[in-house]
Amino acid sequence: MATAKKGIVQVKNPKTGKYVKIDRNAGKIVAHKKSSGKYKGVPVARKRNK
Amino acid sequence: MIYYSPINGDALVKLVEYSPRSCFIMTKLGKPIPPIITEIRKALSVKLNERSIKEIDASSEVTGRDFLLKIWKQILSVPPGICIIDETMNAQTMANVFYEIGVLQSYGKETLIIKTKKTKIPSDFVRTEYISFDQHFDSSLDKYFNFFFSLEEYFIQMSEQLENNPLLSIDYLKRAYLISGDEDYKKKVKELSNALDLAARAKNSVENLITRF
Repeated sequence: MATAKKGIVQVKNPKTGKYVKIDRNAGKIVAHKKSSGKYKGVPVARKRNK
Repeated sequence: MIYYSPINGDALVKLVEYSPRSCFIMTKLGKPIPPIITEIRKALSVKLNERSIKEIDASSEVTGRDFLLKIWKQILSVPPGICIIDETMNAQTMANVFYEIGVLQSYGKETLIIKTKKTKIPSDFVRTEYISFDQHFDSSLDKYFNFFFSLEEYFIQMSEQLENNPLLSIDYLKRAYLISGDEDYKKKVKELSNALDLAARAKNSVENLITRF
């Protein structure tokens, strides 16, 4: 099983319905998933506390 | 984001006044207005009122200054733009409408095309969301607005995950603010901008303009 790289998370973009991978430490968007579903081994960012 | 004026090509060094929970309407405004356009606009107004979204169009304010500059600033101030088109509209009006959609999209604004059944969309806009004015109009518009308001949560998530890139994080917060008008986002922007130590920068520096709204 792939090990999650520290600081990398994914968020679902409602416009495309696809996941976006973000490097929190570098503060940048690193990839947009082309196919449906999540990136394997990458945690999904939690929704904010309202 | 740095905005370049369409009039002189120089960077805008003034604050853009935001109009949260508003919508820029693009359609034929001068008379004669085709009856179908009037009918669609009325139906759209009902839906916008239900969602507490204010309508803005090129005739909403009279500045006495350059017309294109006025439209451009209106576009910068809103979260989405909605155009209403019909095949009876002349080429000049269509060109203006699609120019404005292009400007909206280039600034990261949401866009929606409402069209009558026979109206064709230029090929460059095939990826742009559109709905037809038919028996499904109300439900299609509801779906669109549900999607539109879901963007607020996405923008906030993106802002939180990108905090190590403060200006980008702030830009996402501003986009969320435009959707809901939630004043808490201004406080969050203030917190992020305090960490940037911008006090020594000019009031209208690019960084300070990005952090104010």
